[in-house]
Amino acid sequence: VSALVSPEGTAPRKGIGPRRLVALAALALAIGIGFVAAQSLAGTAVYYLTPTEAKERGLGPGQTARLGGQVEAGSLRYEPASRDLRFVIGDGVSRVEVVGTGAPPGLLREGAGAVVEGSFGADGVFRATQVIAKHDEVYQAPPPGATPSHRKP
Amino acid sequence: MSWGELGAGALRAALLFAVLGAGASAFAARYRDVRGLLSARWCALLALGLVALADLAMIGALVTHDFRIAYVASNNALETPVFYSVISLWAALEGSILLWTLVLAAATAFVAWRGTVSMPRLATAALGILFVMLTFFLLLVTTPAADPFTPSAFVPENGRGPNALLQNNPLMALHPPLLYLGYVLFSVPFAYAMASLILGEGGDRWLVATRRYALVSWALLGTGIVAGAWWSYAVLGWGGYWAWDPVENAAIMPWLTATAYLHSVMVEEKRRLLRTWNLALVIGTFALTILGTFLTRSGIVNSVHAFSLSAIGPLLLGYLVAILVASCGLLLWRSRELADRGALGAPLSREAVFLFQNVLFVAATLTVLLGTLYPLIAEALSGTQLSIGAPYFDRVEVPIALALLFLMGVGPQLPWHGASRATLERQFALPASAGAAGAVLAVVAGTRGVAPVLTYALGAFVAGTVAQEMARGIRARGVLHGERGGQAFVALFRRNGRRYGGYVVHLGVVLIAVAIAASQSGTVEVEQTLAPGGSMAVAGRVVTLDAIRDVEEPQRLRVVADVRVSGPAGDTRLEPSFAFYPNATQPVGTPGISAGAGEDVYVILAAYDQRGRAWATMRARVIPLVSWLWVGGAVIGLGSVLAALPPPRRRPARSAQLAETVAAGAE
Repeated sequence: VSALVSPEGTAPRKGIGPRRLVALAALALAIGIGFVAAQSLAGTAVYYLTPTEAKERGLGPGQTARLGGQVEAGSLRYEPASRDLRFVIGDGVSRVEVVGTGAPPGLLREGAGAVVEGSFGADGVFRATQVIAKHDEVYQAPPPGATPSHRKP
Repeated sequence: MSWGELGAGALRAALLFAVLGAGASAFAARYRDVRGLLSARWCALLALGLVALADLAMIGALVTHDFRIAYVASNNALETPVFYSVISLWAALEGSILLWTLVLAAATAFVAWRGTVSMPRLATAALGILFVMLTFFLLLVTTPAADPFTPSAFVPENGRGPNALLQNNPLMALHPPLLYLGYVLFSVPFAYAMASLILGEGGDRWLVATRRYALVSWALLGTGIVAGAWWSYAVLGWGGYWAWDPVENAAIMPWLTATAYLHSVMVEEKRRLLRTWNLALVIGTFALTILGTFLTRSGIVNSVHAFSLSAIGPLLLGYLVAILVASCGLLLWRSRELADRGALGAPLSREAVFLFQNVLFVAATLTVLLGTLYPLIAEALSGTQLSIGAPYFDRVEVPIALALLFLMGVGPQLPWHGASRATLERQFALPASAGAAGAVLAVVAGTRGVAPVLTYALGAFVAGTVAQEMARGIRARGVLHGERGGQAFVALFRRNGRRYGGYVVHLGVVLIAVAIAASQSGTVEVEQTLAPGGSMAVAGRVVTLDAIRDVEEPQRLRVVADVRVSGPAGDTRLEPSFAFYPNATQPVGTPGISAGAGEDVYVILAAYDQRGRAWATMRARVIPLVSWLWVGGAVIGLGSVLAALPPPRRRPARSAQLAETVAAGAE
C-alpha cells in the first residue's frame, strides 16, 4: 500500500515505479473489461429465427431464441380471466404455436408481424416470455368507402 | 410564392454562401487576409438567415397544411393541432436534417462573429471547416437525399398526420432539439481541433477556446437523453425508460466520450499531458455524433427511432468515413509535435484518477458500440440474425458505472501530483463515513442485491465529498473575504463556477444513479383482468377500475379506462388509454402515471373487451424514486449552466486563488 501513497517528489523505487503502476493498472482494467464484454456477448446473444429455421435447427426445449413471423389469421386467443395468450406465428412455410401469460401488446394484430422471445416446451409449443409486436408504420389508404377500423361497432 | 418555392430557394442560396464562405475563410486563414475574413463573416450571417428562412417556410407550410409539399402531406393533417404542426418540423427525416442545418448555420455564424475576435487565425481556419460541414448538410437538403421541399406527386385533400407516437406527448418538443443542439455544437470543438492541427499550432489554444462549447454541447446532449428517457417512460407504456435500443446507444456514446473529454481537458490544462488523447476524444465524440445520425436515418438497425430507408444512409456513411480518415491523418501527421512533456504522477493523484476515469468511459463507449453493432457484424459474417439485449448491457455497463461513481467521489478529493497519508485522511474521513452509513441504511431498509446497495453507498460517498467541498469553500471565503454563509455560497459559484458547477453536476449524477438503482430493483408489478368496479392490490395500494369509455376527438378516437388509485395519501384518478389514429393501423397506448417524490404509480391498459367493454386487463407498477431521474437531469443542466457562466471580470485578486487552494486542501 505504501507504494500507492507516494507523495509528490518521491523517487521511483526499484522494480515497478508508481508511474508505470498507473499505466499497468489502466491497461489491466481495459483488458478486464474487454474480457467481460466478450464473455457477456457470447452468453447473452439471442438468436433470431424464423419458424422454419427453428424447426430445421431442431431448437431443443429450454433453448432461448427469438422467433419472428406473422400472427396467423384467426389464431389469436386471449383469455381475459386467466390472461392466457395463444396464437400461431408462421412464415408461410412453417407455423409455431405460441403461448404466453399476460395481455397482448397493443400492437399485436392478426396478420401483422410479431417477435416472440422464449423457448420450446417438450410438447413443441413455444413458451413466450416476451411478445413484441412489430410497428407497421407503412400507411395503406383504406379502399374507397371503407369504414375506418376503429369506427366499426 | 409558395412556401415550398420560398424554402427551396432559400436553401439553394444558402448553399452558395456556404461554399463562398468556405473559400473566403480558407483564403483568410492562409494569407491572414482581413477582407477574406469579413467576407466569410457576411457569408455566415447570410447563410444563417437563409436557412432560418427555410425552416420558417417549413413551419409555415406545416401550420397552414400546405399538402403540395410531400413532407407536409406525410407528416401533417388538417386536424393536427398547431403545436404538433410546429414540432413536426423534426418529426421525420427531411425536417430533422433541416433543423440540424439551422443549428449548424447558427454555430458557424457565432464562430464567424465572436470566435474570430479573440483568436483570428485559428478561429478563421475553424470557420472554414464549419463551412465545409454546412455545405455538406445543405447539399443533403437541396438534393433528393433529404430535400424537405420535394413537391407531392399528387396533392391529397388531407395529409397523413404526424406519427402517432410523436403527437401523443409534448416532451417531443424538447427531446429532439436538445439532442440536435448537443450533437451539432460539438462540431465547434472538432473544427477548432482540426484547425489547430492544420495550422500546426501545437499548443492547447483550441482547447481553451472551445471549452465552453464542449460543456454546453455535453449538457444539451445529457439533458436531451434524459428528456428522451422521460418521453419513453411517459409515452411508450412499458414502465421503463431505457431499453438499450440502438438509437439510445447512439445518443449515449458521444455523451460518454464527451464526459471523458471534459475531464481529461483539465489534465492538459494543469499538467500539459494527454494532448493526443484529447484530440482523439474530440475526433471520436464528433464521429459518434455522425454515427448516431447515420444509424437513425439509414434504417440499418431495427429501432423505434428508425426513420424510413433513404438514400441519405450511404451519404452519411461516406461523410463519417471522410471525417475519420481526414482527422486521423492529421493527427498522425502532427503526432511528433503533440508529444507530452512530463509524465503522469503517483497512482493517488488527481491526474491518475482522471486517467482511470477516461479508460472506463472509453471502455463503456466501446462496449456499447460493440453490443450495438454486433448483430450487424454477425449477420454480415455468418448470416445469422441475433439480438443483443439488456442482459449484455446490464452485465457490462453496470460494473463500469459503479466504478465511475466511485471515482467521481475520489477524483476531486485528490490533489494533483500525489497525496500524502495525512491528506487522504483529511479528505476521505467524512465522505467514507457517509458511504458506509449509506450502505447500512440501504441494507436496513431492505434493499436486496449488491448493485443497488453499492449504488446507494457510493451515492452517499459522492454526496459527502460534495458537501465537504462546499462547506470548506464557504468557510474559506468567510476567513478570507469575511463573507457569510449564503453570500459565500453564491460567491463560490460566481468566482469558480467551473469547479462548483461541476460538483452540482456530480450531485445530479448521484440522483440519476440512485433513481436507476431504486427503480430497477424495487419495482412491483401486478397484472389482472378487472370488470368495471373491480380492483386489485399492488404494493400497499388499491387500483380500482371504475369504467371503460370511448372518447371521440377530432384527430383520434380513444378508449379510456377510468382508474382510481387509493393509497395512504388518498385517492388519485388516472386515465390510461388506447388511442386510434386514422393514419395508423395500430393503436397507441398511453399509461396513466401518478408521479411522486417517493414512487410513481404507473397504470397501463393492457387489453380490453372490444365488443362490450365488459373487462379490461390492467397492469399496475409501483416504481420507486423514478422521478429523481428527471430531477437529476435538470440538476445536471443547472450545474452545467453554473459551470459555463463566465466569471465576473477579475480583480487582481490573489486572495481568490488562495481561497481556492485552501478549499482544495492541497499542500
